[in-house]
Amino acid sequence: MKRQIKKITDQTLFSKIFVVMSISIISVTILTSWVTVQMSQKLFVQTFSITNSKIIEQIKSGLQSTHYSNVNIAINVAQSGAIKSFLTEANGNSLSNFKTTFSMNDQMKRIQSGIGAKNVGIVVVGVNGKSYASNRTYWSGPPGELLRNPITENTWNHNGQMLYSYMAGGIWNSAEPYVVASKELIMPETKKSYGTLFMMIRENEFRKNYASFTSKGNDVIILDQHGLIVSSNRQELLGTESPEILKNARDIQQLGLVSKEMKISDQEVIVLADYLPLYDFYIVNIIDKNTMLNHMLNRKAVIFISAGIIAVAVLVVYFITKRLTKSLRTLVKKMSNVTKKNFHNYMSVTGSYETKQLSKAFNYMLDELNAYVSQLVETQNEQRNAELAALQQQINPHFLYNTLASVNMLVQRGNKEMITETIHSLISLLQNTISNVKETISVEQELLNLKHYVFINQVRYGDQIKVDYFISPDCLSSQVPKLVLQPFIENAFFHAFNIKSAGYIYVVITKERDYLLCEVVDNGDGMELAGDQDTIPSPSSARQLFNGIGIRNVHERILLLYGEEFGVSISSTLGQGTKISIKLPG
Amino acid sequence: MKRQVSAVLLAGFLLLTACSSKSNDTANSTDSGGNQGSSKEITVWAWDKNFNIAAMNQAKDVYVKDHPDVKINVVEYAQDDIIQKLNTGLNSGTTSGLPNIVLIEDYRAQSFLQTYPDSFQDLTSSITASDFAEYKLGPTSMNGKQYGVPFDSGVAGMYVRTDYLQDAGYTVDDLQDIDWQKYIEIGKAVKEKTGKDMLTQDPNDLGLIRMMIQSAGSWYLKSDGSTPDLKDNAALKEAFQTYKELMSADIVKITSDWNSFLAGFNSGDVASLPSGNWITPSVKAQADQAGKWAVVPLPKLKNTAGSVHASNLGGSSWYVLNSDGKEAAADFLAQTLGSNVDLYQSLVTDVGVIGTYKPASEGDAYKSEDEFFGGQAVVSDFAKWTTEIPKVNYGMHTYAIEDILKVEMRNFLNGSDIDKVLGDAQSQTEAQIK
Repeated sequence: MKRQIKKITDQTLFSKIFVVMSISIISVTILTSWVTVQMSQKLFVQTFSITNSKIIEQIKSGLQSTHYSNVNIAINVAQSGAIKSFLTEANGNSLSNFKTTFSMNDQMKRIQSGIGAKNVGIVVVGVNGKSYASNRTYWSGPPGELLRNPITENTWNHNGQMLYSYMAGGIWNSAEPYVVASKELIMPETKKSYGTLFMMIRENEFRKNYASFTSKGNDVIILDQHGLIVSSNRQELLGTESPEILKNARDIQQLGLVSKEMKISDQEVIVLADYLPLYDFYIVNIIDKNTMLNHMLNRKAVIFISAGIIAVAVLVVYFITKRLTKSLRTLVKKMSNVTKKNFHNYMSVTGSYETKQLSKAFNYMLDELNAYVSQLVETQNEQRNAELAALQQQINPHFLYNTLASVNMLVQRGNKEMITETIHSLISLLQNTISNVKETISVEQELLNLKHYVFINQVRYGDQIKVDYFISPDCLSSQVPKLVLQPFIENAFFHAFNIKSAGYIYVVITKERDYLLCEVVDNGDGMELAGDQDTIPSPSSARQLFNGIGIRNVHERILLLYGEEFGVSISSTLGQGTKISIKLPG
Repeated sequence: MKRQVSAVLLAGFLLLTACSSKSNDTANSTDSGGNQGSSKEITVWAWDKNFNIAAMNQAKDVYVKDHPDVKINVVEYAQDDIIQKLNTGLNSGTTSGLPNIVLIEDYRAQSFLQTYPDSFQDLTSSITASDFAEYKLGPTSMNGKQYGVPFDSGVAGMYVRTDYLQDAGYTVDDLQDIDWQKYIEIGKAVKEKTGKDMLTQDPNDLGLIRMMIQSAGSWYLKSDGSTPDLKDNAALKEAFQTYKELMSADIVKITSDWNSFLAGFNSGDVASLPSGNWITPSVKAQADQAGKWAVVPLPKLKNTAGSVHASNLGGSSWYVLNSDGKEAAADFLAQTLGSNVDLYQSLVTDVGVIGTYKPASEGDAYKSEDEFFGGQAVVSDFAKWTTEIPKVNYGMHTYAIEDILKVEMRNFLNGSDIDKVLGDAQSQTEAQIK
């Protein structure tokens, strides 16, 4: 885990861009969705209130026609003489009772079929104790039971008005509750009551007035003045009292509101209500906000779409960021590889402008670096060549021939002592130049070599040219490049005394502050230098007398070994002599 | 390696969004995860909560015990509603909205079977028709095919209040094997001594007439089931006259509906109750009258030859509609009311249903004595009378004819001549059912 986090933080640029973009996308999407949902909800709630108040109007008119049908039954029953006599006449004999009952029954059938009130159970109870029930599934109990029902007393208190009430199911009727329309039957002339009419409508029939307008979360509740729920599509509420809903319904009705939003038992609901004057009921439409909004506003779809957008956007951002940072990352990777001694990781010049420029610059830098390195390598090769040349110089076979020829001559003369000394010098010289592989040697050793060389040359060519050494003692232990002075001595021997046959060569070595100054001065012929005094003759110089190669090699060796401030300088005056100064670190 | 990390990062985002929608899914699936089982559902329509519905519920309990995958809904409707709904549905040729099993009164059975010949399931192979009382096979079969499972016998008897009879100086024995004239005579004595009417009658229900004429093997129609037989029907004529005599003797309490009919005998207002045996549960509902009731054979018509002391009133049978699920419904009926002897025993004991399944009458329950009826073995008596019921062909038009007869009966009671009354009824019937 830690490793992974580290990996992520390592990709700083990519992860930063990606995370920032992702968070932005997610928050923008979520916020937009949220705002949209909120706005839609408000809109839906408004629309709902409007449509549902229209629906309530529709339900009201449906209930009205139910009411009119009941009223028609009541009018017909009240106007029927046969029914009146059935309910009022005292018990006669079987025959007269037969006739009365028969006529009443006839009337009842006619009324019911005329009005088409198939789903209404009609019960009349007369003051004489006689009763008639049109259908025993509505009421199968004795009339006394019905009269004891509080509905009856209420009806009697209503002066012949039609009263709607709730009647629970029970043993005398079916298990389902009823909405009962009841009415006291009153003689028009005497205003005396002669019976009671009950029109029983099964609650599930009554519900058909509005059932088609209800759905899950959109409930209709009809309750009476006491808050008793008379009819509802939520059957579990039937017969229960809900003062809370009643109070709200009254509030809405009295304040003339269209709808009200509130909480009923922890549910957020929209309540619409209206009063049904014909029934003396309240009709309440309760819309469960959550269910309804979920229904209307597919939150799942919104969430899905938002999630989809986020996923796609994040994916796109991911790939774009990845692409954008890819060249940069390659750059970083290649650059970090450069440290591993590899200057050949050239960048492909692709990607954005910035990366292209960076790549170009980087490639240019690599070019420069490589050029420099190759130059360095070349210089090193040159140095090696120079050294080799110097070596070759020292063991110049010609020199050896000459030396050996001199020895031969000495042998013929018989100068034994001289022979031994010459051969001894040659041996020492060869030993120091060839066997000693060290780059530098002490001044003392160099001097020894020089002396041997000079001795050999003097044996060969005579001692008209004298060599003197002026060495400051504190220089003896200083290190100098091997055979750094020899080429100049050689030069002086063979080229400085062509016109003059005798002269001196001085070797002066002194220490000046922090460097060593070696001078080879002769009082020979001198020479004409091409340019300035200090310029070393070019190796291609036509003057064969001066062995340019050897001197130039020495100069370059010193430059390579010690830098620009050291080196060889020559000053010469024709006929006066030549002075060669070699500046070395002390 | 880096690629992997960014993939992890990305997967994290996707997972985050996926999670939020997942929780919604599960909430939904519990909502919609409805009943997907292939359970069979059988809907039964019947009337009379205390009798038919109670019996059907017993049959259901027996069947569901062995067939837990079957769901049986027993729905109560008024008989008129059932008839109306059946007619509405079958007329339009659709069985949707109709039940799988329906109870139909024997009087009406033929009208349904003949009017909607393909709408009912042939049960010939499901039940053994010969195991049922013979008089029930007429209404329940057509063209030699058995369509109904014969149910309650409808066998009629005369329920009597022994205490009132005693007050009037009669015993139960005095009512054995009497004719209707004797019954009227006793009724008068009872009215005189106790002030109680002898029986109740609903002017809208000519059940008494039907019982009387069937006891003589006669019916509103000739035995072909379609020719009206009113005008010169001796049994009908005597039944009408007897009815008028009952009224004139002023021993009839007039009831206006089922409730007052029940109240008539439950409240002790009448001394007797000529009815089908299906009324037994209603009689016994008044537990405080235990021991005061007895059941005697139905009186016979005095002057009509062949009248016996056995008749029938309003028996009914079960029919399977020819629609989806008919196999399950037929199997249900065949396994229970079509063959289950034990079920019939408990029907007798618990509900008071006297079936017409002959093998069941051998059971102990049929022989048991009923303390409510003073220790009388009521069921075995009814079962015995069942075998004596004359077989008639109810035909298709029982109630149509009865509507005509009700009016004519009133005319007759108002003083019209009996021959004219029946003659009018005859011509009206001929005009109407042709």
